[in-house]
Amino acid sequence: MTALLEARGVVKRFGGLTAVDGVDISVGAGEMVGLIGPNGSGKTTLFDCLSRVLDIDGGLIEFDGTDIGRHRPHDVARLGMSRTFQLIRVYRDLSVAENMHLSIQWGSLGVPQLFARTDAAARRRADELLDFLLLGRLRHERAGNLSGGQRRLLEIGMSLMSEPRLVLLDEATSGVNPTLAADIADRLRAVNSERQVAFLLVEHNVQFVADLCERVVVLDQGAVLAEGTPGEVTQDPAVIEAYFGDPGDDTAGDDRVGNSPAGAGDGTAP
Amino acid sequence: MSRAAPGAGAVARRWPAGRAVGVGALIVLVVLAVLPLLGGTSNATLLTLTLMLTSIGVAINWNLTGGFTGYVDFGHAVWFGIGAYATAILISLQSNGPQVGWPPVPAILVGALVAGFLAAIIGRATMRLKGPYFSIAMLGTFVALREIVRVWSPLTGGGVGLTLPPYLNRMLFYYVELALVAALVVGTWWLRRTRFGAALMAIREDEVGAETRGIDTTLLKTAVFSFAGLSTGLFGALWAYQNTFVDPDIAFVEVRTIDAVMGTMLGGLGTVAGPVLGAAALYWVRELLWTHLLDAHLLAQGVLLIVIVLFVPRGLVGLVDRRGTSLFELWGWKGWRLEGRRLHRGPAAGGEAEAAS
Repeated sequence: MTALLEARGVVKRFGGLTAVDGVDISVGAGEMVGLIGPNGSGKTTLFDCLSRVLDIDGGLIEFDGTDIGRHRPHDVARLGMSRTFQLIRVYRDLSVAENMHLSIQWGSLGVPQLFARTDAAARRRADELLDFLLLGRLRHERAGNLSGGQRRLLEIGMSLMSEPRLVLLDEATSGVNPTLAADIADRLRAVNSERQVAFLLVEHNVQFVADLCERVVVLDQGAVLAEGTPGEVTQDPAVIEAYFGDPGDDTAGDDRVGNSPAGAGDGTAP
Repeated sequence: MSRAAPGAGAVARRWPAGRAVGVGALIVLVVLAVLPLLGGTSNATLLTLTLMLTSIGVAINWNLTGGFTGYVDFGHAVWFGIGAYATAILISLQSNGPQVGWPPVPAILVGALVAGFLAAIIGRATMRLKGPYFSIAMLGTFVALREIVRVWSPLTGGGVGLTLPPYLNRMLFYYVELALVAALVVGTWWLRRTRFGAALMAIREDEVGAETRGIDTTLLKTAVFSFAGLSTGLFGALWAYQNTFVDPDIAFVEVRTIDAVMGTMLGGLGTVAGPVLGAAALYWVRELLWTHLLDAHLLAQGVLLIVIVLFVPRGLVGLVDRRGTSLFELWGWKGWRLEGRRLHRGPAAGGEAEAAS
């Protein structure tokens, strides 16, 4: 499979702390890849590096063969990589539809279109996506009035509005009830199969990742700890130790609860 | 889900109210257009009304960056001063012999362009900063440029200033400024409905989010900042020509920025009608305070500012419509946010704090 996103040796430091330490990761066209790891392992920082929200201190990031290491975030978005955030970023004073209209492919607009209202094609696409994401009846609702799960769906819809080839999804099921999480998984699977959109998912809900992804990358302390199928990584002793800590250590952390690889069978979220 | 959102459907449902506002604005415009044609309108009255229009125009321009884009500019009056001085320099150009100054119209237009050009250069640098840092940087820009004008005496006349040829057709200036303000109101109303306007509000609410959704935030915010500088420079250029004299202390006045900020906050930050209503109301309040409370008019204005910030954070427009924002939100004062018409501190209902992060 041709790599759509290829990152090699990515390093990000904050002062003396190395948050991302020489990470290699790739996502093929139309592929769904999971990125898991204990709290503080560098998953979201890596996302920020890949989407160019943060500058990197070393390494190479290519998207569809283009070196994007010095691109600005809007350039990356215009190349076809969109993302969501761990802390939801929707425009809460705007309506659901207006949020979608703001997430168009801005790179294709000339000056006349910039000073025009949202066109019929963009409105139609927004309506289709909102229906697809079960938000159609809320299109005129103020985004700030939506529930946390609905806002997650809206943010996913916004990330799909620009017809991206790769979406970085950060904690798509955080704060979402299991029923809605299952709906989100269904929608993502459908988008992937019908529109050939690739996904890189950061998740604490290992079951969610295992259900969706063929390949999973595990980060620990900013470095890649393991990579393989969901079955392989959840059985990897190093991964289990990263989540559970030293079996002899009674002070092992909170990751024991709910979001460990061993919890892949129960599908619980932290 | 208690309230209709400002989406396309909501706009359609509010059409009668929108039409009423439009009809009301048209009536006010007609009254202002006819007023000077009625007998008994003195030059002093025309000057007062022209200065009110100047205040409204500057407030509308300030609102483009402060209200729509969320960059609270504490040095906006610098563009007024630059426009005034550039025009005054061009008009009063002298060679060794006869005066070779420019005619008024090109001098005024070039004066505005100089302000817009400088705004583009300075905005490109200062708009890398956020929140209060940007505000203070612009205040510093204002003071620095005023001092440059003061010491660059071969060109600017230094502290003595420049004198322009007298041309006191008050009615002409009144109509020119009325037309400019009307054009700015219509332009802002239209901008608010375009993708460009929506992108500015996206920058105001969440600049990182806007960038990752493909909006070139640097280009758009610099463009709107430059236009605001150019437009305020135009008002400054017109003012210089009417005033027939400029010096640093009357062309670069902090109160012009304060009036723009206060007027826009009083009317409603980030709204179309807000700066118009607020600047007009503030102008007459100031006139009244100046007339009747000369010793305490600054104190009264300070109290008014505190009252606006605390009790009408969304301004007059916010009393009937929850569009717009407040200084609390623009500066991201930790924990403070607007819920409906009231300021609250702490987490919001329905997990909004998460969305606001």
